Amino acid sequence: MKFERVLFHTQFREYAFNSLKALLHLKKAGLKEVVLVYIIPREDVGFVPYGGYLKDAEKRIHAEAESHFKDWQKAIHNAGIRSVIRIKSGILNACILKIAEEEKVDLIVTGAKKRTTLEKIYVGSHILDILRRSQVPVLMGKYMVEFESDEGILSRKNSRIFERPLLATDWSDPSERGLSAIRALKGVVKSAVVTHVVDSKLIKGMDSSQIAELEKESNRRLAAYRERLRKETMPAEIHLAIGKSVPEILRISRETEATLIIMGKTGKDWIEQYWLGGVSHRVAELSELPVLLVP
Amino acid sequence: MRASCLAAVLILLDIFLVSFTASASKMGLVHETTASEAAPITQRDATHLQAVEDHPPPEHEKTHAQSGHVNLGEVLPIWSCIPFIGMLLSIALFPLLLPEFWHHHFGKVSAFWAVCMGLPFVIAFKGVALHEILHIILADYVPFIILLWSLFTVSGGILLRGSLRGTPVVNTVILAIGTLLASWMGTTGAAMLLIRPFLKANKHRKNRTFMVVFFIFLVANVGGSLTPLGDPPLFLGFLHGVSFFWTLKIFPQMLLVSVLLLMAYFIMDTYFYRREGLSAKTLDEKKEPLRLEGYHNFLFLLGIIGCVLFSGIVDWGEISTLGIHRAVQDWVRDGLLILMGVLSMMTTSIRVREDNDFSWAPIIEVAYLFMGIFITMIPCLSILKAGSTGALAALINSVQKPYHYFWMTGALSSFLDNAPTYLTFFNTAIGSFFSGMPEVEAVPLLMTEKSIYLAAISAGSVFFGSVSYIGNAPNFMVRSIAEEAGTPMPSFFGYILKYSLVFLITVFLIVTVVFFR
Repeated sequence: MKFERVLFHTQFREYAFNSLKALLHLKKAGLKEVVLVYIIPREDVGFVPYGGYLKDAEKRIHAEAESHFKDWQKAIHNAGIRSVIRIKSGILNACILKIAEEEKVDLIVTGAKKRTTLEKIYVGSHILDILRRSQVPVLMGKYMVEFESDEGILSRKNSRIFERPLLATDWSDPSERGLSAIRALKGVVKSAVVTHVVDSKLIKGMDSSQIAELEKESNRRLAAYRERLRKETMPAEIHLAIGKSVPEILRISRETEATLIIMGKTGKDWIEQYWLGGVSHRVAELSELPVLLVP
Repeated sequence: MRASCLAAVLILLDIFLVSFTASASKMGLVHETTASEAAPITQRDATHLQAVEDHPPPEHEKTHAQSGHVNLGEVLPIWSCIPFIGMLLSIALFPLLLPEFWHHHFGKVSAFWAVCMGLPFVIAFKGVALHEILHIILADYVPFIILLWSLFTVSGGILLRGSLRGTPVVNTVILAIGTLLASWMGTTGAAMLLIRPFLKANKHRKNRTFMVVFFIFLVANVGGSLTPLGDPPLFLGFLHGVSFFWTLKIFPQMLLVSVLLLMAYFIMDTYFYRREGLSAKTLDEKKEPLRLEGYHNFLFLLGIIGCVLFSGIVDWGEISTLGIHRAVQDWVRDGLLILMGVLSMMTTSIRVREDNDFSWAPIIEVAYLFMGIFITMIPCLSILKAGSTGALAALINSVQKPYHYFWMTGALSSFLDNAPTYLTFFNTAIGSFFSGMPEVEAVPLLMTEKSIYLAAISAGSVFFGSVSYIGNAPNFMVRSIAEEAGTPMPSFFGYILKYSLVFLITVFLIVTVVFFR
């Protein structure tokens, strides 16, 4: 796995440029080109009731986006990275996924909206849809977020997101690829955290010796992950937890002061995930940290 | 700006309130302040309702009789139609004059006209007005939108892939197929299914504008004239008692219009094709075989046809919802139509819809706008139903011959949406021939004894919907997709002057001479 070509999708919200600058740290991990993407939603310019297509409005929005991007390109160029601009009208997710395919990118980066009154980072349905359907890793950037904690509403700036990634593994193949993603970030990662949560549902009905055996096996696997990272000269610490997956991952991410959560995206139970959202989607939705989902 | 808008709204509301109250006084619905006045139903209504309970009229008649529908039409003045006219003029003018404003605020404009009519109407006529509004929403608007939504959703799940070469023969065949499909999957459904393959097939052609215009003529309008599924006005007719298969009676008219337009198209396309110097050999594009994806949605389309058919055949009695009597089978039909749409969404790959550029925007727009249209049209329909005793007696008396109906319905359908126009003249015919008779009795007579008039109204509303971009909802969708795909489309007036007047009006004159003299 490598992160040489990255698709950066923006809707020009507040802090979008800061979010892009945080991404440029990937240069040390081999980033060569950024594809800047802006999608003009068809509903914004097409299907004017009993009218037609707002060609002038489309041209204007296109020109505005291009002007923003050209400005951004200077910063990208100064960082020694190439960039291309792709502005398109159409269905948001379909266009992003299509451009990702056409440009053969290694990573899609898209942002989350600001905190809503629901006191959590709002992950729009379109982002969850991209997370679900993308064939390449998707990084949900959250540059400036406010989140709920025991101490009330706190705000957090995620500017150095690749320094201390946390890999939450369930031992699946996508989790294995999550480990590859950390290795691909060599150069920007200072230290890593690997965690596994034994779901409380799993140990229901088990006696203490069975639980101890499960813990032992899990710790052995975690240690193997740590060893593989050490071979890449990445210091790593491991954490095993028992409980509900989502809150435990969130807790460990805070306690270990992680800067990024990396998770594998499992393909099983997609119907359940589609309607209810799987563990990875829930973490992406609830965490104040950026989340990298690896298919 | 906002303050002046608010002031304008308040002034309009005030004017309508004063005037409606005056009309209500004439009707006897406003009286000295008593405790009973606070109640939503007036004493007069209560007495009337008691009388109805003692001597119940037939089921369909009951809803109108209880609401005092006929009386309302007799007392309402002609200016009570102003919000309706304002609503329709907004649809006609805003997209031309202030397209960006309209695109972002059409819902508010619709709500504005609905409130201008609805609020003073309810204050002045109380329970009777509330009943009328609820009736038109539950009995007309809800099933109308549900049918459109289900057809839109299901047809949006069918994708035609592959490469077609846009030769005159191929294009004419596509138009003919679209025309035939339109009556069974709705003009919107057929247009959405075929417009993108049609544009793709002709992207190498220099002259494409006339192709899209004829596509609007045939697939988005004329083709939908054979069943209530085809075009919204005919479904409104069905909801008001016109039987499902009666509409097939306008097959001769539809056939004549289609054949003439297809011939004109073929001649034009052949002329341009030769002039462009194209031949099959010059097209060296990689050929991809034609294939349909999401074709299982045809099963849901059959389901929709079945649902509408069954609701017109069975009689499972009626239930009252918020005081509005609706047939049980109508509610069941609406529920099944929603089920068809949901099943289509669940079983169709999201990729198929995305490749179809499927978007909810058009149906949401129609839902918002038609809420305003249906509410504001209440006074107009009531007055027309009152026949020669209503404020529009002059109009009713002047529209007498079949060709009057064909051209009057058509002329208005050209520039106003054809669904409300159909209902307007449907009620004009009832008011004219069967004044005072309950709809449930009048409609069968209209279908049999005066069938040429109903045919003229049906044909006029469907055919003339293609005369301008604003005549029928699919017209603007096709235009939007064509412009997005890079096909230059004529302006509003260019479309009418260069195409509608030349081709459509000529054909409609022939139809008049042959069928509606």
